[in-house]
Amino acid sequence: MYFSIHSYFKRLRATILGVLILSILPPLVFGINTQLEPEVWLYTIIGLPEPYPIFPEIYEKFLYSMTIFFSALLLGLLSAMILTFTTSLLPRFIQRMITHLLTILESLPDLFIVVVLQVFVVYLYKQTGVVIYFYNDYENPIYLLPILVLSFVPAIQLFKITFLLMREEQHKSYVTVARALGLGRFYIMMRHVFRNVLSSLCQYSKTIVVFMLSNLFIVEYVYNLNGLMYLLMNTKGGAAFLVTAMFIAIPFSVLFELADNFKMASNNDNKESAA
Amino acid sequence: MILKLVKQPQFVIGFLFILSLLFLSFYWPSLFNVNKAESLKLMEFMYDENGAITGSIPFSPSEVPPFGTDVTGRQLFYQILDGAKYTLIITFGVAFFRIFLSVVITLINPKANYSFLNDLVSATLTIPTTILAYIFMTSLMMKNTIEPMGLTKLIIIQGLILVGIGIPPLISTFSGEIKSILNLDYIKNTFALGAKKPYVYYRHVLPELSTRLILLFAQQMIQVLILLAHLGVLSIFIGGAQTLMLGDIFNLTPKDIPLAGEWSGIIGMSFTKLQTAPWAILIPLSCFAVTIFALNLIIQGVQHGVEETRKL
Repeated sequence: MYFSIHSYFKRLRATILGVLILSILPPLVFGINTQLEPEVWLYTIIGLPEPYPIFPEIYEKFLYSMTIFFSALLLGLLSAMILTFTTSLLPRFIQRMITHLLTILESLPDLFIVVVLQVFVVYLYKQTGVVIYFYNDYENPIYLLPILVLSFVPAIQLFKITFLLMREEQHKSYVTVARALGLGRFYIMMRHVFRNVLSSLCQYSKTIVVFMLSNLFIVEYVYNLNGLMYLLMNTKGGAAFLVTAMFIAIPFSVLFELADNFKMASNNDNKESAA
Repeated sequence: MILKLVKQPQFVIGFLFILSLLFLSFYWPSLFNVNKAESLKLMEFMYDENGAITGSIPFSPSEVPPFGTDVTGRQLFYQILDGAKYTLIITFGVAFFRIFLSVVITLINPKANYSFLNDLVSATLTIPTTILAYIFMTSLMMKNTIEPMGLTKLIIIQGLILVGIGIPPLISTFSGEIKSILNLDYIKNTFALGAKKPYVYYRHVLPELSTRLILLFAQQMIQVLILLAHLGVLSIFIGGAQTLMLGDIFNLTPKDIPLAGEWSGIIGMSFTKLQTAPWAILIPLSCFAVTIFALNLIIQGVQHGVEETRKL
């Protein structure tokens, strides 16, 4: 079992304390209150005259953001798996070229990808008349483009990690034994190497999720999506910020707890097998 | 260590690229033989030889080679060259102070647990750094409009915000590393032989950390660059902005123009005009990408160097 309620509550307490500190820090440091509304549940969007309450819209926004986030994560994971699988069956020199290409792709800031796709969609429309909606209006939220954009960066990162892990794994002795037994390359890859890689991939899940959350924010801002991150930005500290941040922090701390416990468990396994 | 790094081609290429960018950025007026004020001025229309208007802002890269102009009509090529030094110096400074301060804070009491900081870190994991920076920066901007402070003071406080945001996670990584270094046998022995703490930190702990420090430094620079680009999109400019009235007298529109010409300012200024002048955003963004690529090359070079020394 990788999960204990006790340590989860410990982490949750730490998170709540941290968010609380963050929400009161800017007024404390600068001696100025950006939350100019008389009621704490209200927030204003720059350029719009009247303030909005965060409840009950926050539930809708939460669902929307999480749908985009997790579909993008799944899509990224899936495409990374397929990519690793196909490249590991390719000849050596192509593999080396792909690693170089990955360094270049990894250097692209998320903002660059977001903007390029937006420009590309408009160009596509001008050339062919195919409409892909990239701007949100309140009634019909968009899903396709944000999910595609958001899945791009984790797909590259996951691909790089799995690819490197795969190459490391191929020199281990159990692969040599399997080869010597006359098993096919494809079979070894599928049955043995891939499973081991997947289990060690869980160690990197935390970094990727953190990176994607920051990515989600920029996607929501640029495409004007009505999501949780956009709300978090507009609350600008104070009680509304605290509540919105909790909406993100509580579910994700479950994930982090799981990831950390899994990491510890697998480390212990390694130690035992080494001993 | 340094000798080994020089032998890594990736490290050398990345390092030389950043150095030459800095050099170009400082000396471009004399290198290209152009007047600095002349080439950075606002340009509204383009005239042919007879003085007839042939085009208006923004000019595309084909009209004004090589990069076109932004929405206010300033040449993007010179702007980017000129802004490179500010961007690089800001990222360098912020990354340096993040690392320096967090190492110093950790070394003051390496055995401390920093549970308070760990709380902060676990909270900031889920809140994107851009939002954190934005919240602090808007508070600062609001204070600046109520009681204006000088440009240098504003830039220093903004830099402090950028530094402060990165410090808590760094401290928690460093405290783990330094604790494990202090547990090494030879360090324990040095203490047993009566060495003073500052001596051991300077003589043994820092050299042990050195490759890690270079790697973390490059990674921090990348993070700061990305953060700057994001802040530019949110129209938070380092050094504040000056509001200009553009357009004719019947159709005046206020426009915030960043005072310091760094790259994120160029992005933020033209971001609302993405469809009319996509090059004005894509070109500065690709400059960010190229710089990040150079930093990634440096990271790879260092990692290769470390691997080679391990093999020996």
